Amino acid sequence: MKDMITKEEMINHPVDKVWNAISKAEEISTWFIQADFKAEVGTPYTFTASEDKGCMKITGVVKEANPYTLVYTWIVENTDVETTVKWRLEAEGENTKLYLEHSGIANYPGESAVKMFESFSGGWAQCVDQLQSYLTKAIHAG
Amino acid sequence: MQDKIDKIFKAIADPTRREILHALVVASVALPITDISAKFDISRQGVTKHIRILEEAELVEITKKGRERIVFANPSSLKTVSEWLQFYEQFWDGSIKGLVDYLDNKEG
Repeated sequence: MKDMITKEEMINHPVDKVWNAISKAEEISTWFIQADFKAEVGTPYTFTASEDKGCMKITGVVKEANPYTLVYTWIVENTDVETTVKWRLEAEGENTKLYLEHSGIANYPGESAVKMFESFSGGWAQCVDQLQSYLTKAIHAG
Repeated sequence: MQDKIDKIFKAIADPTRREILHALVVASVALPITDISAKFDISRQGVTKHIRILEEAELVEITKKGRERIVFANPSSLKTVSEWLQFYEQFWDGSIKGLVDYLDNKEG
């Protein structure tokens, strides 16, 4: 049994470009989720997915923000459960190795996990669809 | 709540307890403590201790039948934790894919 999710991805873009994408509000809002976010230690942030789609609000505080490590707490609305998301980038020539860690997931209460999972999962699927269509439009428009 | 999760993690941290729980889940039947003791070749006292820790984590339930104590599996507590993990696995896979697509289509 584990409490943490880890992801690794080799990205064919320079480290500064990837860093901007994960740390600047405007860019986060484009590919990830509507973000009121500043990559400064101690600064609270809010991620908001459109409510009419049944999506959630996520809040937290930036814990670490030095190129190329970004750590923030991650609290889903109505759960009061604090988890932690950590992004770490390593330059490999013109490419970037991305490491993502999401820890504290075992903190979610067992009783309500199934219910939360169901509503949350549907919401996110819709958000992802929305994002994909947005990106497709943006690409064709540009 | 946190206390309960801690108990689950404590309970399944031990390989013998994982095997006992596994045996109960696979068998899908209740087993008397005597049978568990024989199956795992550990003392009745040792089994009782393991079972108590599993019971505290609500992973098993115990009923009395005459002088014998019967153990049932109740693995739903485990299931709920793994569902969150499963959800976030998919969520982050999708998000990273979104990040890569975004970068691929961005100028500069």
